[in-house]
Amino acid sequence: MSPVAFKSAVDDHVVEELRAIIGDDARVRPDQSSRAFRSRVPAPFPVHRWAEHYPDVVILPKTAIEVSEVVKLANRHKIPIVPRAGGTGLSDGAVPLRGGIMIDCKLMNQIHEIDLVDRTVTVGPGINMLKLNEELKQHGVIYPDDPASYPCSLVGGRIGTGGWSLLGARYGHTRDLVISMEVVLPTGEIVEIAEGGGRKLRKSSTGLTLKQLFTGHQGTLGITTQATLELVPRPEVEFAAFFAFDEYIKAWETTGILTKSGLATIAGVVLFDEKKIEYLRRDDEAYIPQPDTVNAVVAVAMYGRRCEVEPASKEIMRLGKSNTGKYLGDEISAGDWASRHDRYATPLHGRDLDGQAVLMSWHCEDAALNYSVLPQVREEWHAIVARYRERYGIFDDWGMFAYTSGAHKPWADYLVEIDVGIWEQKLNDEYWAAWVDCKREIAQVSLKYGGSITACHGATREGDADLVPEEMGSAWPVVKAIKRALDPNNVMNPGKQSLDEAYE
Amino acid sequence: MTIFRLGEQTPPPPRRITDTVVERLEHQYEVDPDLMQITPQQDMPVWDSRRIFNARWDHLDWMHAHFADEVLLAGEESETMEEHP
Repeated sequence: MSPVAFKSAVDDHVVEELRAIIGDDARVRPDQSSRAFRSRVPAPFPVHRWAEHYPDVVILPKTAIEVSEVVKLANRHKIPIVPRAGGTGLSDGAVPLRGGIMIDCKLMNQIHEIDLVDRTVTVGPGINMLKLNEELKQHGVIYPDDPASYPCSLVGGRIGTGGWSLLGARYGHTRDLVISMEVVLPTGEIVEIAEGGGRKLRKSSTGLTLKQLFTGHQGTLGITTQATLELVPRPEVEFAAFFAFDEYIKAWETTGILTKSGLATIAGVVLFDEKKIEYLRRDDEAYIPQPDTVNAVVAVAMYGRRCEVEPASKEIMRLGKSNTGKYLGDEISAGDWASRHDRYATPLHGRDLDGQAVLMSWHCEDAALNYSVLPQVREEWHAIVARYRERYGIFDDWGMFAYTSGAHKPWADYLVEIDVGIWEQKLNDEYWAAWVDCKREIAQVSLKYGGSITACHGATREGDADLVPEEMGSAWPVVKAIKRALDPNNVMNPGKQSLDEAYE
Repeated sequence: MTIFRLGEQTPPPPRRITDTVVERLEHQYEVDPDLMQITPQQDMPVWDSRRIFNARWDHLDWMHAHFADEVLLAGEESETMEEHP
């Protein structure tokens, strides 16, 4: 069997069929600007080959039935479908690789139900968490999914990528916060997906647990058209503390001390490495005036009731200083923590080999790694980026973060990121290929140390995608069988995660 | 109607903070202009720089209020800036 979804066959006839399904020409958009705006995400992009990533047509559905009918049409004509929510992803989940029909869910942004008794909120996939929480505030509850793109990403994208939350150690990540979903399958059927049955149940042992299968599939197994989400009590208080260290290893040890403390209100712990501090010292007002003895930082934040957080904060201060840590002060601790909710507002520029400031886009290469291997991985990742920077001159090492990544269990799993600036204006085929090679080398280090090549961004871009079979190992045939069974025509976001192999 | 004249809003000469950073207005850092040859800077009037600076603090205050009713502080001075005032 060969992969059957290919460079698309969207012609005038198909566009007319789409218009008949949607019934509103303003929501069927074959024009160039509508397509161009939806062809990339913030991650570095082959701008010299921009047009190759245009969808052929964009539609903006308002109902699951519209989505279903469009997907059925795609199957009839063997046209690729690419789902897109906020388009804020840091890999290529929402980037068309073979043209096709892009289903943009932004108009499906309603709050359908707020249930304060069973503590759920049911929404469309096009709603943004910030907007949702503005509405929920009056009810004393919050939906605590908090990515770095919090002001601009949408619930549907969070589900599709299996997002990570800054507050995940306390409240869980996207997959822990979604209770059930309405999903349009790759063949167009509309199904209810939950733990078992029951739209508002957090745990069931009936049948197979399908919910996780439909969270984090990068748009390759269907399109979420409605989601029932967790509501938690709105925190009375927030407490954040930042501690400085003269060397990375002490900061790493202190990260371990804090995450193993057993304090249940810890929402997240963040480890900034020496390269990250070096980068911040160039451009961040909080770090520019810091003395040379500040070479690594550990940040910790807590949320909850005052009666829990206030006494626990005393213990955090003791533990944070217990291994030579120095408190950075109230202003940086509170202010820098607040800025963590919105990292997409950061101006994007780096330095060329002569130290000149140049416009760069932000690549955040992520991995899921255990605590024990962080120091070794850090050294190898920086060495890789340094080699490519020296050779090509368009890359800049912006340092590394490690964030607690285990939901409710912050002690062992980390979302680890190396931020790399890329001078997009200089890209050509040679430089883009170099970048893909660089990504692949970084991902191979993650696998070598028993990690996963991505904790939350998705392995959807060349360089990552070709390593998915290796990481999945003996489970790869199971993955391919599921994909082939659910998407017999390979129409749903084809070309991602090496899933074309399911049709070979 | 207010007519904008840069001359009346020209920031003072920069003061060097680090090898790569200068400061014209208090607590507002800028990349050393010598490092901005490829990406030229525009002339920023003082009021506009202040507006951007203050808006950043407004934004952070808003974020705090968005996620919790109150921000607890350790109430301790910076231990790093003490040694490097």
